[in-house]
Amino acid sequence: MIGYFCKALGAHLRRGRSLLLLTVLGVALGVASVLSIQIINLNALAAFEGSMQAVSGDADLSVLGRMPALPESLYVDVLAEPGVQSAWPLVRVRAVLDGHEDFFLDIVGVDFFAPVRVPWQGDPVDFSQPLGQSGWAAFTPQLAAKMGWRIGDAVTVSKGSQRLPLRVGALVDFQRLTPLASPKLVLMDIAQAQHLLGRKGWVQQIDVVVAEGADVDLVRQRLQARLGAAVQVLTPAQRTRQTAGLLAAFRLNLTALSLISLFVGLFLIYTSTQASLVRRRAEFGMLRSLGATRGQLFALIVGEVVLLGALGVLAGLPLGYWAAQANVERVSATLTNLYLLDEISTLKLPPWLFGLAALSGIGGALAGALIPALDMSRRNARALLSDFTLHEKIGSLAPQLGALGTTVLILTGGWYTWLGRTWQPAGFVLAIAILSALPLLTPLAIRTLTGWIAVRGFGLGYSLKSLGARLQNSALAVASLAIAVSMLLGITLMVGSFRQTLQVWIRTTVQADIYIAPLAWRGQGDEAFLAPDLVRALRLFPGVQAMDRLRGFVAYADEQRVALAGVDIGLPGGSSRFALLAGTPQRVYREVRENGAVLIGETLARRRNLWPGDSLDLYTPAGRQSFAIAGVYYDYSPQGGAVIMDLQTLTAHWGEAGLNSVALYLEPDRDAEVVVDALRAAFADAAIEIRSNRRLRQEAFAIFDQTFAITRLLQGISLLIAVCGIALMLLVQAREQVSELALYRAVGATRTQLFGFFIGKGMGMGLLGLLLGAGGGILLALILVFVINRAYFGWTIQLYWPWQAIVQQVLIILLGAVAASLYPALKASKTPAMELRREDV
Amino acid sequence: MTRALTFENVSKTYALASGGSKYALRSVSFGVSPGRKVAIVGRSGSGKSTLLHLAAGIDGPSSGTVRVLERDFNTLSEGERTRMRRDEIGLIFQFFHLLPLLSVRDNVRLPAMIAGDRGSAARSRAEELLERVGLADRLDDAVQQLSGGEMQRVAICRALLRRPRLLLADEPTGNLDDENGRRVMELLLALTADEGATLIYVTHSRDFASQADAVWEIHSGELQI
Amino acid sequence: MKMFEGALSERQPMHPRTTITRACNLLVALAACCLLPALAGAQNWRIAQPDYAWSFPRDHWARSNYKTEWWYFTGHLDAADGRRFGYQFTFFRVGLSPEKPDLDSAWATSELIMGHAAISDLAQKQHYFAEVLYRTTPLLGGFATYPDTLIAWSRGPAGTPEHWTLSWNGSGFDFAMADQGQGIAFALHTVPQKPLIFQGPNGYSRKGAGASAASHYYSFTRLRTTGVLKVGGKTAAVSGDSWMDKEFGTNQLGEHQVGWDWFSLQLADGREIMLYILRDTAGRVDYGRATLVAADGTTRFLKRESLALRTTKKWTSPQTKATYPAGWELNVDGETFLLTAEMADQENRSALGRPLFYWEGAVRVSDGKGRQLGKGYVELTGYGTGNRPGI
Repeated sequence: MIGYFCKALGAHLRRGRSLLLLTVLGVALGVASVLSIQIINLNALAAFEGSMQAVSGDADLSVLGRMPALPESLYVDVLAEPGVQSAWPLVRVRAVLDGHEDFFLDIVGVDFFAPVRVPWQGDPVDFSQPLGQSGWAAFTPQLAAKMGWRIGDAVTVSKGSQRLPLRVGALVDFQRLTPLASPKLVLMDIAQAQHLLGRKGWVQQIDVVVAEGADVDLVRQRLQARLGAAVQVLTPAQRTRQTAGLLAAFRLNLTALSLISLFVGLFLIYTSTQASLVRRRAEFGMLRSLGATRGQLFALIVGEVVLLGALGVLAGLPLGYWAAQANVERVSATLTNLYLLDEISTLKLPPWLFGLAALSGIGGALAGALIPALDMSRRNARALLSDFTLHEKIGSLAPQLGALGTTVLILTGGWYTWLGRTWQPAGFVLAIAILSALPLLTPLAIRTLTGWIAVRGFGLGYSLKSLGARLQNSALAVASLAIAVSMLLGITLMVGSFRQTLQVWIRTTVQADIYIAPLAWRGQGDEAFLAPDLVRALRLFPGVQAMDRLRGFVAYADEQRVALAGVDIGLPGGSSRFALLAGTPQRVYREVRENGAVLIGETLARRRNLWPGDSLDLYTPAGRQSFAIAGVYYDYSPQGGAVIMDLQTLTAHWGEAGLNSVALYLEPDRDAEVVVDALRAAFADAAIEIRSNRRLRQEAFAIFDQTFAITRLLQGISLLIAVCGIALMLLVQAREQVSELALYRAVGATRTQLFGFFIGKGMGMGLLGLLLGAGGGILLALILVFVINRAYFGWTIQLYWPWQAIVQQVLIILLGAVAASLYPALKASKTPAMELRREDV
Repeated sequence: MTRALTFENVSKTYALASGGSKYALRSVSFGVSPGRKVAIVGRSGSGKSTLLHLAAGIDGPSSGTVRVLERDFNTLSEGERTRMRRDEIGLIFQFFHLLPLLSVRDNVRLPAMIAGDRGSAARSRAEELLERVGLADRLDDAVQQLSGGEMQRVAICRALLRRPRLLLADEPTGNLDDENGRRVMELLLALTADEGATLIYVTHSRDFASQADAVWEIHSGELQI
Repeated sequence: MKMFEGALSERQPMHPRTTITRACNLLVALAACCLLPALAGAQNWRIAQPDYAWSFPRDHWARSNYKTEWWYFTGHLDAADGRRFGYQFTFFRVGLSPEKPDLDSAWATSELIMGHAAISDLAQKQHYFAEVLYRTTPLLGGFATYPDTLIAWSRGPAGTPEHWTLSWNGSGFDFAMADQGQGIAFALHTVPQKPLIFQGPNGYSRKGAGASAASHYYSFTRLRTTGVLKVGGKTAAVSGDSWMDKEFGTNQLGEHQVGWDWFSLQLADGREIMLYILRDTAGRVDYGRATLVAADGTTRFLKRESLALRTTKKWTSPQTKATYPAGWELNVDGETFLLTAEMADQENRSALGRPLFYWEGAVRVSDGKGRQLGKGYVELTGYGTGNRPGI
């Protein structure tokens, strides 16, 4: 049997090269999308861990603030705690490399005389220099090599609105400690760091080594008790868990999308297996009649599929790696922008990841082949050799399958209504139910739809009718396309609605004429300040009527990170800056201005069920403080919670620090663009970004689009797989329908007509897929917008129809379908009329 | 005088795997006048079907000339041959070759659909033909529901739909029992006569052959008139 | 003489030679690399001069113009329950630059404070060593100025809430240390039994032939000491005698000097002897000086020719594998003394940074017939092949 397997397989594969190619491609694309997403997911966290290890590798505990910075006096308290073996403070800030947009350096200020481990490279460091030489900083050899820096070279970075002149003082190779360390780590003396950053007295972190024999957790608890609630004392594992928690929704989203690609790929495998089995039916019948057992037949089929799956995996692994690499920057930018996390600079590839991808490819192939293989091996020889065709089977099963699909939908809907509402991932269950009901409903839908068509001529209608007659084949191709379309449409609708909602929101809230913030402020984080002199100069700039100031940072409401911002709430017209969801504007703003109350974002309100009249506890340097909630406003920040208070209230609790951005209101009849130009000329030296209202809006959307870029890529992959499915199906039909095609030729159909017939079939599948996918997509969009988004982000998104995008995508899908049918159509058109055979038609 | 079909020194050879070639037809020449009915008899593999395929322009000769209605197939493009087949030739097969996705009426209408003729004339012509073969009450049925004889009657209607001048039938009764075969043969001959078409049919049956104006026998690719 | 290093200025950190100084070693170790070069403002540091104008009590406080300075206390203490202890307490001032960098940060500093403390529990034969090293900032430690009573202070080692302090009590010094990790602490009060003496003429103590090879050096050779001492979690009242050295200078040591042996002996007849020898790379005695303090406090400075030192016993540290002298026959100006270590392992092994170790321990002084003549402290540095930067 093995000998037969090899011979038959060889012959079979030679005969159906394009079929083979498509099957392999399907597996490859599925595997690639899973692999690339897992690589990116894993490395998002690994990047954080790498930097953590490089900077705090020796530490058992890290003391971190529930506010942007810790008073350095806490270091003394840490030192005094029994059980502490050693401890050292760290100043950590992110700065932007001059001339490189969004190129962030992770500056770490250390006390070189504390027992820190520094992996110096090259000549020994002269320790008078880190302290005594202005701007002395140690860079990684990787970065120095990339930038062509040598020791002694000057490097300018900007932090907040300030430009800082640094000097390459030494090289420090963190990758020797941990291979995933970011090459963008920069080491400075703590005194220089505080001085340059204007943050005397503040540090970001204190690392602690616990004495041998002491109980780490006990020391952690005692430290926590000693230092108070304004800080958190965390083990490295806890820090990783926190970051993982922060990224959970983001990673879940990507994983779900990549699984859909695999799911669609699975259909492709199923279809091609089915096709090859149908074609070889007589061969199998003959084998069975010659005495081959069911087991042997099953093994024959499964063996072939595994081989194809393996080929797909082989192609998919490098493809996935490549895709990950090609997209890592995009994802990395998202991580930096949204979560202020470390950039992914090196991809770590544990072998198990490849194992997982291989398993999903071959397993997927097997799962796809199992039912057809079982079905085929269960038949007896006579049935296989007889005229009976499989075509009818799905046709006759269509009502039952449809009923099953409907049941799935009803049951899931019922489950959600009665039980699932409170469960966070419930939305994903709903989405899965829709995506699995869709293929079940497809045969019935096709049969019903094509049944309505009265055939007039040999055109599109005829092609559609022909699809209905070949349900077994077409249902699969249409179903996989429908799934891809649902996903595409669902996400397009969601993203489009979100974008439109955001647009409306921005229009009401972004009202100042000019916005000024440090370069790459979002990526720099909480400590990017505008210099006080600069702020004064801006306020007095000709044409400026009023200035709105903002200071924002990540604060903690219990264990939850919230984006806290202080603004000039009393500014005239300021009341329209926040679109209120709950609370009456007049009262709300008075409360906030006069009584130190806060406004909270919708996300936070929903998640914590907090509404006006409740209070919110925030950690301040003095410990936990309660703030009255005056109102709830629409908020679309990604951090999962936002809190606004008056700048004065903020300063009163968190102390003086710089401003993160200011907004200028111009005198009436001033042209914003002209003032922007004047400001740029006047403050050419400051590392600031001056944006007009229009620019700011544009940039907001650029960031928005960037966030969804990876999503679009995955949509594309699924669609590509689905289009491959169409090509595959048509190829199969061109082969199977030889007699029918020959008949058309015999009764006078030209080659062009047959070509058109097949293009029509492709279009038909595209249309049916679109029609079914539209249903699924709308449902999916509703789930995304109203269930998943609510559960994970808590934004209010109004449903909008991004018609332009939808029409564009419909055209792309139809074009794709047509493109996919070109080759099969060409093959079909070459069918000779002589091919009329006894057993067909 | 115009001839419906002319073969001049037509030979057809097939290459063999061993390297040589085999004659399916050897220097066949004949002419058939319009309105004539010719039966072709011969054993299996004698070349009967090849002759019909050549006459229909489905296949081309290795040498010699095939003319239908005085038009030389050698001088026509593939497309022109196809259109000749669509408009001037009707084909009837042993195994009916009806399409399960179409109703009885639409199966008959298929040549008109392919010709792009969507008018109601084709539709009423199909219905009229079906009435003449006694299937007026089965217009909307699925073809799978028909008996063999009924299927072949539908196939005959399909062949006649576009009023072809030349009808080619390849063992039209070969898949039917005697009774059904006789009825189908009667209908075929009668309808051909009504339409004034020329009919060339292949048959195994001496009985059916005898109903033709002429009976030609093919033997190992050579035609004996 | 507890010598701090001029080699701070030398750009040869990798060379075994530089191991002679503990500060250098420690810094090298911490930084895992080289130290402050001669260029780093060395020309701005003041060099020890023979005609230095002493001013007491002001000169008990830090002399920040000099690069290196230390206050060194060693002594023997007896507890009420009969237990005997040797102890060491030292604050070093390690100058980084003559000027404080102009940075807006508490961490900006021109010097480090380093503390070493040890207790030798002579009955239990247990030696404890504790250390601190901080840059001087208001948070972590620093040096005060006259007339403040405080001279120097620092945070305790990590895990210890208590500070380490040194202050002037009007006639002598009070000092305290603690290390919770090791369960040791002491707080001692000293009163001079004999007046302050200069080591070398006008306190100008030469260490070699070079121009800068000298330091300013004075001692209290007999301080009546009382206080409390904690070992193994048990606190006891203690009393005994201490010896105090204060020394400051810049770049005292020559390049070829690898280490030294230093002795402070308090004889039962009321006399004291201070003696040091500097060893060169070949292990030969390169330089040596001694001071003989009479019972009435008058001093005699002896050159090398009047001194003879012979090792009678050796001890190898199981931890560092360094082999130290453990017994000596000492001849000073015709008088012979036998010196024996009170216990073998009185090695100070620093854990801050890379390995740095030296022997600093209590010794007994006797004559040829086994009669005890007095007690003393010995410091041995630069022994052991591993006693150099590991990089």
